[in-house]
Amino acid sequence: MLAYSAQAGCVGARPCGWAAGNRKAPGTSLLICKRDPTPLYFQGRRHSRSRNVKGLSTAKEAQEEFWAGFVPLARPFAPGHAPRLPVSTHPGGTIVVAVTSDPGQLNPAITTAGPTHVVADNMFNGLIQFDENLNPQPSLAESWGISPDGRAYTFKLARGVRWHDGKPFTAADVKFTFEEVLLKFHARTKAGLENVLAGIDTPDDYTVVFRFREPYAPLLRRLDVVEGPIVPRHIYEGTDILKNPANNRPVGSGPFKFVEYVPGDRVVLGRNDDYFKPGLPHLDRAVFKVIPQPSTAVLALEQGEVDYLWTVPGPDIPRLQANPSVVLAKAPAGPGGSFCIDTLIFNLRRPPFDRLEVRRAFAHAINRRQLLEQVYFNQGRIATGPIASTMTWAYTPDVTRYDYNPDEAVRLLEAAGYRPGPDGKRLRVTFVHASTYARTAEVIRDNLGRVRVEVELVTLEFNAAVERVFVRTDFDLGIASYCNGPDPEIGVTRMYVSFNIKPIPFSNGAAYVNPQVDELFARAATTVEEARRAAIYHEIQRILPGTFPYLWLIETEGYRAFRKDIRDLRIWAGDLLERAWREQTR
Amino acid sequence: MGRYLLRRLLQVPPVVVGLLVLNFTLIHLAPGDPLYFLVGEGGDESYYAAMRARLGLDRPLPEQLIRYLAGALTGDLGRSFRYNEPVLALILGRVPATLLLSGTALVGSTLAGVWVGTVAAARPGSFLDRAADALSGVLAAVPGFWLGQLLLIVFAGWLGLFPVQGMVSPRLTGGGWALLVDVAHHLVLPAGTLAFLQLALTFRLTHQSVRETLAEDFIRTARAKGLPPGLILYRHALRNSLLPVVTVIGGHVGTLLAGAAVVEVVFAWPGLGRLLYEAVLTRGYPVVLGIFLVVSVMTVFANLLTDLAYAYLDPRVRYA
Repeated sequence: MLAYSAQAGCVGARPCGWAAGNRKAPGTSLLICKRDPTPLYFQGRRHSRSRNVKGLSTAKEAQEEFWAGFVPLARPFAPGHAPRLPVSTHPGGTIVVAVTSDPGQLNPAITTAGPTHVVADNMFNGLIQFDENLNPQPSLAESWGISPDGRAYTFKLARGVRWHDGKPFTAADVKFTFEEVLLKFHARTKAGLENVLAGIDTPDDYTVVFRFREPYAPLLRRLDVVEGPIVPRHIYEGTDILKNPANNRPVGSGPFKFVEYVPGDRVVLGRNDDYFKPGLPHLDRAVFKVIPQPSTAVLALEQGEVDYLWTVPGPDIPRLQANPSVVLAKAPAGPGGSFCIDTLIFNLRRPPFDRLEVRRAFAHAINRRQLLEQVYFNQGRIATGPIASTMTWAYTPDVTRYDYNPDEAVRLLEAAGYRPGPDGKRLRVTFVHASTYARTAEVIRDNLGRVRVEVELVTLEFNAAVERVFVRTDFDLGIASYCNGPDPEIGVTRMYVSFNIKPIPFSNGAAYVNPQVDELFARAATTVEEARRAAIYHEIQRILPGTFPYLWLIETEGYRAFRKDIRDLRIWAGDLLERAWREQTR
Repeated sequence: MGRYLLRRLLQVPPVVVGLLVLNFTLIHLAPGDPLYFLVGEGGDESYYAAMRARLGLDRPLPEQLIRYLAGALTGDLGRSFRYNEPVLALILGRVPATLLLSGTALVGSTLAGVWVGTVAAARPGSFLDRAADALSGVLAAVPGFWLGQLLLIVFAGWLGLFPVQGMVSPRLTGGGWALLVDVAHHLVLPAGTLAFLQLALTFRLTHQSVRETLAEDFIRTARAKGLPPGLILYRHALRNSLLPVVTVIGGHVGTLLAGAAVVEVVFAWPGLGRLLYEAVLTRGYPVVLGIFLVVSVMTVFANLLTDLAYAYLDPRVRYA
């Protein structure tokens, strides 16, 4: 016996299965989510794969037709979550997406590198996908449930899914992908699941059960195409995964098929006519064009040579905002990183940052408002703590804030014994940063100069800066963009837990040790109920600004820019183009 | 001449091996790790260790060097960490785009620089002489990325005469003449930028050299014999002025493959220079070393060709 989520369609603020007020059937723990119906044209449950969308004369008719296919499962929930229907009846066309870096290879399961995911995620699927609020929605998994003890997740897979080479997708592909690919080669998934996952069972071809050693909360947010892309077992089994030729000519299940890759220039994808989501995709062709220089990409967008930019340089924003052919949209998440916070790293291993007063003084001395306006061109907001404010379920604003106050900074430095010497300086610190942070570093040096702290800027190329800060730990101040990821367990925990003080990039770079925080993060990871988890993260957010291992500068919220005739881009997700369509074909 | 050629060719292998060792040492001295880019964010220690072992990066550096040398001497330049492809194939795949860009620019800048330099030198103090002199001074001082962006903004942005980026229009699906015209259209701005940058030097060298030659006694003799001015200028003065110009162009040929990196980045031209730029940023050791090797070999052979051109242009070299 099954029970259905009160949030059928999964368009709520919480993930399915965790929603308050769900009616659970006695004796079962399985909760079912219905597929998100967002902008689809269908006639009945299965739509013919041809591109015609005729036959639905009005949006209302189309809507009724749509819901009719789901009776009785969906009808009770339909009125509150009416699908947005596209106004266009012109599917097809080509979209050109500018990317700043060559993807290299195109298997998203063996890397977390953004340049690969930006392209390849459109050819693959995860078990779930995120809606715009980053709540899990069905994808390769039609539904799922969590056992009462939080140690087992059961997924019912979609039927009729085929790989691009025509072979059927089954539960064996999921088990193989996790066990042989993701848990070996996908850095985040390996680091997150390797020690907690007890096993993966496939009772039948369309059921997958993830068993954990302890209750495990963040699994659903680890299963989208960025964190958990599923690859075909029949292509990879028995081969050297990293050297498999399919990494350069991928076979996926996603909305687009691989057509051509010209390294250094472009990746071309074509529409997957056998895509398992009815009526999708709308576009015929997608070209990912490598344009390393951001200013060139902006010009190409203005001239109509490309249609979509993943990032927009700050100085170009006003110009694009004034362009009637271009739409600018903010996105806190994406395959290149979600909920990212540019963060100043204090090296707690050595003076002067082993002293809390000094760290607090620096927090008061640095003018983050100035940074936001002059360096980030208002692309983001001032951070208040380790969790981004846009991750609403886990964030709390109820934390101690350190506003810009140079007088207080001076007082704290004096109290710590740092008085001006004969040369007028209280202390000298090195600030190691990648060249991309040059402007940020200059503002910080200027701010600190006002309280008579001399900052020696060590500007390095990205790779060298990462090594100097995280591996050699030869710095006083460092800076990095730490991304929270879709769940705090994925991107926040690593910065604060003492067992992650290791010579690896983006670990606990400050070398912060606090057993209470370690314990709280461990508890949050094993607490399945979201409200209780949120309370734990709130507590962590109240503790950390008091001890200040880092200074959270700016929550970066990148602008995406695209031609205005393009609609329904999933700008927050890896599968950007799954539902995209153009008002006019080119 | 044959013995001269043979002697020069025999010098090539030790030079190449020396360059391989030097390049290998230099790239490994640079801070950073190829895995930072390759793995992405969020890896744990065991993953880094496993990947390092897989790529052979956990071996002592001398061992890595010996393995690399052994491979390189048999034509195996290794495999790209990032592209999952043999380095040689990757490099050869980018060579045509770069040759097209650099070759067009080199031919254009040489023809224009030599011609304008010669004509300007023949009319000292004329408007052309002064204008070309001033312009070449400006061009010699202009950074490539700046000039490229300026031309982009004016000719692609404001005037809309040329495409902004790339070698082929992303929306073009056909081939044949349409493709040829499309590539030529895309070529104008990047090749123009590169040609302008090289033009200044070629012009100044030709200009100076022709002026000096025109003051030589044999030119005075030719004039006294009543030879036409055009014949004196182009057959006698120019030919005798070309040695320093050939030296410079020879140097350009050597860096033809990788010297256009900045222009390739600005115009998103899919060439070898950009491959090198990205490989350096991501610490793709095999690719960087492979490109260094190809460029080094090119330079060695370009120098050889320059010497042969000397011999052709100057009989004193030929018969020495």
